Amino acid sequence: MQWPSEMNTTKTLISSKISGQLGQYGLLVAFLLICVALAIISPKFLTVQNGLIIVTQVSINALLAFGVTFVIITGGIDLSIGSIVAVAGVVSASFAHPDSYPVIVPMLMGLLVGVAFGALNGWVITRSNVPPFIVTLGTMTIGRGLALILSKGRPVSNLSDEFNFLGGGKILGIPTLIIILLVAFAVCSVVLRKTVLGRYMYAVGGNEPASRASGINVSRVKMKVYVLAGGLAALAGILLTSRISTGQPNAGEGFELDAIAATIIGGTSTTGGTGTMTGTLIGALLIGVISNGLDLLNVSSYYQQVVMGVIIVGAVVLDSLKK
Amino acid sequence: MNLIKPFSTLALAALLAACNQTSSTNSETTAIEGKKLTVGATMLAMEHEFVVNVHDEMVKQAEKDGIELLTVDAERSALKQVEQVESFIGQNVDAIILNPAEVEACSPAVSKALAAGIPIINVNSETSAKPTAFVGSDDVEAGRIAMQHIADKLGGKGNVLMMEGYMGQAGQIKRAQGAQEVLKKYPGLKLMAQQTAGWDRAKAMELMENWIQSYGNQINAVFAHNDEMALGAVKALTDAGLKDKIMVVGIDAIADALQSMKKGTLDATVFQNAQQQGAQAVATAIKAAKKQPFEKEVLIPFELVTKENLNKYLK
Amino acid sequence: MPNPILTVSNLSKSFSGVRALHNVQLALHPGEVHALLGENGAGKSTFMKILIGLLTPDSGEIWFDGEPLRANNVHDVLKRGISMIHQELLTVPELTVAQNIFLGREPKRWGFVDEAKLNSQAETLLQQLGVDLRPDARMKHLSVAQMQLVDIAKALSNDAKVIIMDEPTSALSDTEVQTLFGIIRDLQRKGVAIIYISHKLDEIFALCNTITVLRDGQLIDSRPATDYTPQTLIAQLVGRTLESLFPEPNISTGREVLRVEKLGQPNKFEGISFSVHAGEVVGLGGLMGAGRSEVVQALFGMEPHKQGRIYINGQPVQIHTPQDAIRHGIGFVGEDRKQTGFIPALSVRENITLICLPNFTKRGLVHEPNETVAANRTARDLNIKTAGLGQRVMHLSGGNQQKVVLGKVLLSKPSLVILDEPTRGIDVGAKAEIYKLINQLTSNGIAVLLISSELPELLGLSHRIVVLAKGKQTAVLLREEATPQTVMQYAMA
Repeated sequence: MQWPSEMNTTKTLISSKISGQLGQYGLLVAFLLICVALAIISPKFLTVQNGLIIVTQVSINALLAFGVTFVIITGGIDLSIGSIVAVAGVVSASFAHPDSYPVIVPMLMGLLVGVAFGALNGWVITRSNVPPFIVTLGTMTIGRGLALILSKGRPVSNLSDEFNFLGGGKILGIPTLIIILLVAFAVCSVVLRKTVLGRYMYAVGGNEPASRASGINVSRVKMKVYVLAGGLAALAGILLTSRISTGQPNAGEGFELDAIAATIIGGTSTTGGTGTMTGTLIGALLIGVISNGLDLLNVSSYYQQVVMGVIIVGAVVLDSLKK
Repeated sequence: MNLIKPFSTLALAALLAACNQTSSTNSETTAIEGKKLTVGATMLAMEHEFVVNVHDEMVKQAEKDGIELLTVDAERSALKQVEQVESFIGQNVDAIILNPAEVEACSPAVSKALAAGIPIINVNSETSAKPTAFVGSDDVEAGRIAMQHIADKLGGKGNVLMMEGYMGQAGQIKRAQGAQEVLKKYPGLKLMAQQTAGWDRAKAMELMENWIQSYGNQINAVFAHNDEMALGAVKALTDAGLKDKIMVVGIDAIADALQSMKKGTLDATVFQNAQQQGAQAVATAIKAAKKQPFEKEVLIPFELVTKENLNKYLK
Repeated sequence: MPNPILTVSNLSKSFSGVRALHNVQLALHPGEVHALLGENGAGKSTFMKILIGLLTPDSGEIWFDGEPLRANNVHDVLKRGISMIHQELLTVPELTVAQNIFLGREPKRWGFVDEAKLNSQAETLLQQLGVDLRPDARMKHLSVAQMQLVDIAKALSNDAKVIIMDEPTSALSDTEVQTLFGIIRDLQRKGVAIIYISHKLDEIFALCNTITVLRDGQLIDSRPATDYTPQTLIAQLVGRTLESLFPEPNISTGREVLRVEKLGQPNKFEGISFSVHAGEVVGLGGLMGAGRSEVVQALFGMEPHKQGRIYINGQPVQIHTPQDAIRHGIGFVGEDRKQTGFIPALSVRENITLICLPNFTKRGLVHEPNETVAANRTARDLNIKTAGLGQRVMHLSGGNQQKVVLGKVLLSKPSLVILDEPTRGIDVGAKAEIYKLINQLTSNGIAVLLISSELPELLGLSHRIVVLAKGKQTAVLLREEATPQTVMQYAMA
């Protein structure tokens, strides 16, 4: 009795090669394919102007997603960032009325709020056995409440031109948001790939007991990660406030989920230990491009939500196939 | 780019319902009839300026009439709102004021209150179940007024974009309906696109940016279902240097919108009288609770706000 | 000799072009216990998976009971009479013993499961096996050994003519192992043929008639067990002769590195006092649960200790976290390397430099070239086989993973290394390398504290052995006085 030989081996050989390459470049390929498709369907899509608009619109979500990437790599989650956007926005707006303080003051006050929230998250998570999901769900509600209390439920408007320039201006024709996004991307990439802290993030998310046994102060790493996420969320909140020229207590609702989606589409494993900033940036761009493209095509927002959901699940399935 | 609706924090719902309760009393005018009336109010979302305005007036009216007003925030969740009404029924309040989150999903709240024999007054928007009384304005009228103004200004000819509210809410459905009625009368007016921006300024700004890419110079006017979105559209148009050519009209006449009109950026809005709605809601609730005669439907008219009559509305 | 029940000839199988099995032959006779031996990755599991129909071979023939076995699904093979007792037991915890035995083949009456018949049939089977188990007991209440017996009963209920056992004793106590051996010999008398896979040489010599050795996917030899001695068998397994598994211990020991006085933690251990000198291996002996791991984890700051003092180089020190321990020159290789050893998703380089990463920075950033140099040197010194320093550690074999963990610890230049079961679950070849490495450490003046549950290993490597029993220290034995008997005697005290 003989089995057919060759066939099986060749098949497994090919399929393993394909899945390997999909893992590495799948996201980029998918992104480019979608861009090409949209460019063919809508002549308005592939213009410099529209490109700038997409990146500008993406920047807020991308900043949040950078922070979330740090957190998810360490095996955690942060649901409070959307609320931090609101609190930081309202606080910075309160200090940004014309002829009140120099523009640095609202910025610092906003960042301070974000860092404080991050530190609170980190402190509770490292001092207790409560899962990050629950802790940040709590701070999410606290933050939303604080934003409403501080603003008395009304948008804080009448902001100075200098402040409005932060997220709404242009330098040499390039929107400030894009410049800030690129700088933040570079800094976050370096932190993740080139610093001891970044390496420790992968280690803690990949295997916490082994990290502890390697002399890593796991609590300190987690603390720093939540502070980073809080700080980036505050930056996003300040820029959003500046862009729409008001501090809105209901700003940033659901942003945490968009940011988590961008991170996961970008290939960061939900169980921690792997992920890159480049992936997250592409993930955010992918969401932005699809949202922009569907708007250009005047597709109903009902369908937009379905499309996004399919893409998120697809990304996670791809991730599990890689394993 | 809101992909998924915020997590419904069901586990916290009960807790929040308890925490959010604020009671306002006035001891001086109590006890005119021996027992002080208690009215429970559940509000759509206490983070919306308009809702806050309505509520402020309700508080004032309650103080004036010497009743106790218990307010809870539904945080836009119909489910939460139903639970809150259930707990009001449990507390045996004398009347309930409901500022509904959704047309259908909040209907059980109304039926339950009626079944328990407690008068329930809908304020601002409707539910499909008929309440004891309705106090508010007809949102169809608001949409009609706004679109009519655009038609008048454009001379019945031009390209219009419509930014819609949160899909499925009474406000969105009726304001869109009113606008469509006017559009039918003017074949020269073309609705190029309609899309939701979820009542939100930042989302409206993004949507407008994308629309500018799509339709650019063809746009003549933008109608937004509320002022927040109108202001987002104004911001995007101003940034693109197109505001001078395109008129923007909103609804609600919130403070920011009036300021923007004063600066000459927003063209018009429609005033919805929050004060009247709040005051009338409480007044009707008291009458119903005391079994005095009351109007089943108190409609407070909308008013068009333009540059000409702006000063009347500026505080 | 009767005709073979199972004949395998020229069996080959490749995965993605990598040869897992090449022209393997095997003949299995009724009533034979046939050992299948090989290092990890030698092709044993591929061979087994083909036999039970989980994999299709690329070429070759299998004859079973006088007919060709065309195996493409597990069910067919099972029905023909080949059963496998898996290393990880595949039983349903919520069901009863009887239900598990007849899972998928329940006796029916009127379309419903006939529970009475089910239980009586199961009882007969269990009695045949001489097992004292109630058929209606729930699986989840059984010990691992009992579950294994149920698995064997299930195989017999299938009228299995061939039973494959993959490391059946890995979770069993000594008495349970004896019971299992009794049952295997019983099956043997009834004419059942058994393929027995194990790393434990003493079991193989005690039980098996024939030994087949696989290496790198090829059949090395297949002969009667009496032809082998442990030494010649090991030589065949690893492909070279080892004069001895254990190198001569380093003779020159130096100053005291670690001293522990009356270390204690309520309900875990108490009154632990010993010292370790430079160049010395001190073994910690004792039964499972004697508190050995807890003691070394306390020394490394991973578990607390309430009583006692720790001295490093004669100085009293406080150790409450692993950072404290590392600062005082202690290195730790834990008993579960997957749990506390390496970071699976990080590369070999990143794992090796993890403890002393701050030493590889320039201007606040990690300096990869320096890191690579250090990692390269470690990989060479420890003979770590990788596809490159960038390979993720999760893709390495158990032995190489263990070497990565060792390399990481050694790069931090410890003066004392704690090794908790350093050779657990790795094959003989890698074990020998680790023994050599321990010897090298001591000749470089490093002190070693060793835990091993394998007595020959503990006796072969240690200068002195500290024996614990139920959390208490019962003896400190010198190399000369330590024999398996003395160690066991104090371990059971």
